[in-house]
Amino acid sequence: MSIDPSLRLPAETPNTPVRGELAIANLSKSFRIGGQLRPVLEGINLTLRPGEFVSIVGASGCGKSTLLRLIVGLDDDYQGEIRLDGERVATTSLDRGIVFQDHRLFPWMTLEQNIELALRNTNVPKARRAQIVAEHIALVGLEGFEKAYPHQLSGGMAQRGAIARALVTEPKLLLLDEPLGALDALTRVNVQTELQRIWMAQRSTMLMVTHDVEEALYLGDRVIVMSPNPGRIRRIVDVDLPHPRDRRSPLLHRLKDEILAELTAAPVEPGGVSDNLVRLPAREAR
Amino acid sequence: MTRSLLSAPLRTAAGLVAPALLVALWQWNSGGALGSVAIAPPSALLTAGRELVADGTLGAGVAATLARALTGFGIGAALGFLTGVAMALSSAVNRVLGPLLQALRQVPMLGWMPLIALWFGTGEGSELIVVCVASFFPTLLSTHSGLRQVESRYLEVGRIYGLDTGQRFALVQLPAALPFVLTGLNQALAFAWIATIASEILLGTGAGLGVTMQQAQMQQRLDMMLVAVIVTAFLGFAINQILLHLRRGLLRWQPDNR
Repeated sequence: MSIDPSLRLPAETPNTPVRGELAIANLSKSFRIGGQLRPVLEGINLTLRPGEFVSIVGASGCGKSTLLRLIVGLDDDYQGEIRLDGERVATTSLDRGIVFQDHRLFPWMTLEQNIELALRNTNVPKARRAQIVAEHIALVGLEGFEKAYPHQLSGGMAQRGAIARALVTEPKLLLLDEPLGALDALTRVNVQTELQRIWMAQRSTMLMVTHDVEEALYLGDRVIVMSPNPGRIRRIVDVDLPHPRDRRSPLLHRLKDEILAELTAAPVEPGGVSDNLVRLPAREAR
Repeated sequence: MTRSLLSAPLRTAAGLVAPALLVALWQWNSGGALGSVAIAPPSALLTAGRELVADGTLGAGVAATLARALTGFGIGAALGFLTGVAMALSSAVNRVLGPLLQALRQVPMLGWMPLIALWFGTGEGSELIVVCVASFFPTLLSTHSGLRQVESRYLEVGRIYGLDTGQRFALVQLPAALPFVLTGLNQALAFAWIATIASEILLGTGAGLGVTMQQAQMQQRLDMMLVAVIVTAFLGFAINQILLHLRRGLLRWQPDNR
């Protein structure tokens, strides 16, 4: 057991919000495909304020998911800087949680065991773990399903379970990689509302990738619009509305039209390289 | 659900139709209906069975065969599992042992018997080795391939929550590979049972169902031989049922596992 006084002990500070500041500077990433280096991310600069909810939208192939894999530490092969509270990201850490599009709960564990797994290597005392797990199951509204195996849960419930697992370690930063992408439209709206409520209760810094502009605007304090080939930040939209939000807000609708226009427009970059969706099939055909 | 529960006795009864027909055909044929095939009538089997029980041959045979099969299976499967784990987790071990074991597994179980008899003589030790070899390979192969097929998306979850090597094995890799491992064990047990009877017939001394079959053949006691065959079939079936039951319990987390 460490006696470092700076260590956060959730057992002693149960309701302290944990927020991290994410700073990304000049981030670039390439994949080697068929002997050729193909850039997937180029010159990404982005800072998330502690406790902020930021959404990223963009067409497929704009490197959104790659960006999250780099931030969570599953891939450390990149140029530039990713720092959380000043510390350079090199590998995975309990400070950074992630929810994937597929819930990735272990099918061989009950919901309760899946969430408890996340606490294995934390300094939360064993005696407190069951209670913390129960609190997080309640937070995502899954009371009564503690002993259920993932296959016994609906898609929306499993995804809420995955959110509980990601939150139980109280990460400074929670990454959400199209977490609602596999859900049907109705469930999706419900889990969005749920996610907003959870974020308001927890207030950790969150970064969500989505291809749904409406979802990005409904949840995000800011929306990052990315363009593909290679992935770059095209525009950052401030969504100046308090939470909880009303889906019918005229501002959200106006911003949605703007962003959709942006995503489907065909401007020419200063470098002369066309960087738009229309040219994407032609590039891939080569 | 309710319907299938109600029909459960019926489904079991359906499984008894074919054996009953077989016995009826057999009794009918013992009157010479299908020609003079050398086969004892079922009624003669009851007498032979009573005889074998009375002189203790059957009890001793069942006990010896079961002990041999389960000991050999236990040792062979344990070694196969450990070797499979070592090969899946260490590419060095895999490179060193992989080609040799892949070549050796091409030798059919019966092919080992003359060699083992030559090295270790006949009797208990040799029989046990045959059963071990028969259980070893199916367990090894299924453990190895099961562990190699663990999905990377689950391993990534392990990395995200900082699981160490031991935790990753116990909480992610082994449970993910368990369906494969159990399939391998199931096959290993079937092979172990076959190997036990075969080695008893070919190398056997002392007690055992295979030894009884062998002796019955020498004495031209068809009735005795058939009793041993039927008891062997029944025991093999029962062992398999127990294993299937265990499998259902261990894999209750699988969606299509009833």
